[in-house]
Amino acid sequence: MSSYIVTTDHLTKRYGERAVVEDLNLRVPEGCVYGFLGPNGSGKSTTMKMLLSLIRPSSGQVRVLGEPMTRATRRRLLGRIGSLIESPPGYGHLTGAENIGLVRRMLDLEQRQIDLAVRTVRMQDQMDKKVREYSLGMKQRLGIAMALARQPKLLILDEPTNGLDPAGIEEIRRLLRHLADGGVTVMVSSHLLGEIDKTATTLGILAGGRLLFQGTRAELFAAATPDVLIGTADPQRAQALLSGQHDARIDEGLLRLCGLSPDATAQVVSHLVRAGLGIYEVRRQEQSLEDVFMDLTGGGGL
Amino acid sequence: MTLMSMIAAEFAKLARSLSWTVVVLLPAAMVLAGALSSLVAGQQPADGWHTVWLRSVVFYGLFPLAIGVAVLGSLVWRAEHRGGNWNALMSTPVSSLRLVAAKTAVIAALAMAMQLVMLLCVTVAGKAVFALPGMLPARYLLISGVIMLATVPLAALQSGLSMLLRSFAAPVAVAFLGAGASTVLLLAEIGPIVFLSPYALATRATQLGTGTFADGGEIAGATVGSLLAATALLSLVTIAGAAAILDRRDTRT
Repeated sequence: MSSYIVTTDHLTKRYGERAVVEDLNLRVPEGCVYGFLGPNGSGKSTTMKMLLSLIRPSSGQVRVLGEPMTRATRRRLLGRIGSLIESPPGYGHLTGAENIGLVRRMLDLEQRQIDLAVRTVRMQDQMDKKVREYSLGMKQRLGIAMALARQPKLLILDEPTNGLDPAGIEEIRRLLRHLADGGVTVMVSSHLLGEIDKTATTLGILAGGRLLFQGTRAELFAAATPDVLIGTADPQRAQALLSGQHDARIDEGLLRLCGLSPDATAQVVSHLVRAGLGIYEVRRQEQSLEDVFMDLTGGGGL
Repeated sequence: MTLMSMIAAEFAKLARSLSWTVVVLLPAAMVLAGALSSLVAGQQPADGWHTVWLRSVVFYGLFPLAIGVAVLGSLVWRAEHRGGNWNALMSTPVSSLRLVAAKTAVIAALAMAMQLVMLLCVTVAGKAVFALPGMLPARYLLISGVIMLATVPLAALQSGLSMLLRSFAAPVAVAFLGAGASTVLLLAEIGPIVFLSPYALATRATQLGTGTFADGGEIAGATVGSLLAATALLSLVTIAGAAAILDRRDTRT
């Protein structure tokens, strides 16, 4: 489908026997903020590097902006892709202005485009300082400005909030939303769900090199059925009654059942009522996206 | 995006760089060392300008030149290996060939600047230290021109090595070994080595017109011709080779 700005088919990267990324089928819709989530070492950076052809896949394909991304096409495609991979770029012995001036020269940009990018990350007052003297947050923002200066269709940011304080993280969030509103597709990775949870419109969750989930936040909630909690007069007896059919645990005086469909929930309740047990309450536990994420990745967050 | 704007960007990166210190200090130290050996022996340079040239430039060509260019190569590439610079550089729409050519141009320009400093220092030593009659003969300007061109393949090779090796010292060590081996082969009067080794080519060029090693002492048209042919050939092969490697290479993970 042409409405995807990035697609990968069976994308795989192996180093020797070890697969770092395996059979990845990414679908990044145009104009979205795509949150690429996964624990450290799950293959996010490797995947992003393959999207940019910084490393070549062992097998599978990458299509970006409607074209296959290969060594033959990358130089042409990269003019419309801004990126920030791993640590931010910048020559320490040069000032911020000199650094972004290099980008302007290399990409034949206009000063207007440079000024716009610098203002977008609110670095206009820091440009005469040497990059060596920048804080990590300033380096990240300069790196994003360098990626933005070419006015890309697609922006690929690898852990842009790494090492930032809460105010800095919030600022990056606002920036990503602002860019997406302006029509730029943003793909942003993080090992912390909370950092991009509220910004991302589409989520991809990676663990152990495999895609566990891809879709909207609502779809993610739907995919992970919340636990059913039942309040009853005699939880021990209720547990005994259900044993063999359901995996019921007693949790703070309540009966907890995992992965129960609505029909199964009705059956369980009627079974307990018929056995003469008083039911005080039946409810689904409110799940945070964090819980869903932890469930999916097997608790492998940071 | 043109090659010229790429080269301009590469020169801009040299602001406040240590490279300029190397460009000035290395030739100055070579000329000083040559002059001191004459002064310590308590004699005037026997053949005037020729002796001053021999003691500075020919010695410089044996291995200091290769080491100097190697250090310049590592200095120019060092910043690219830091932080996110490599990823950023490889994520630009600049072709590998242009990138390699621009880096080579900058390193070669610095190497050429070393030769200009060398000319200046030899002239100063001849006039101020030894009070030689007249000015440095024009033939040394011609020889310098050939040396400057002959350092281009050396710049291309060292640029390629410093591109591939993150280590600052490793390419310098390669230059030391390469220059040493090439000097031995030149001593053995194996002339065609200049078509294979950029180290031998640069060294041979510094001996032009001096009568040392395999040189006849004249600036023979055939010799200059073969040096320039070797320069063109080795430059093209080295730059194309480095660009092809860069194009196939994956970024480190």
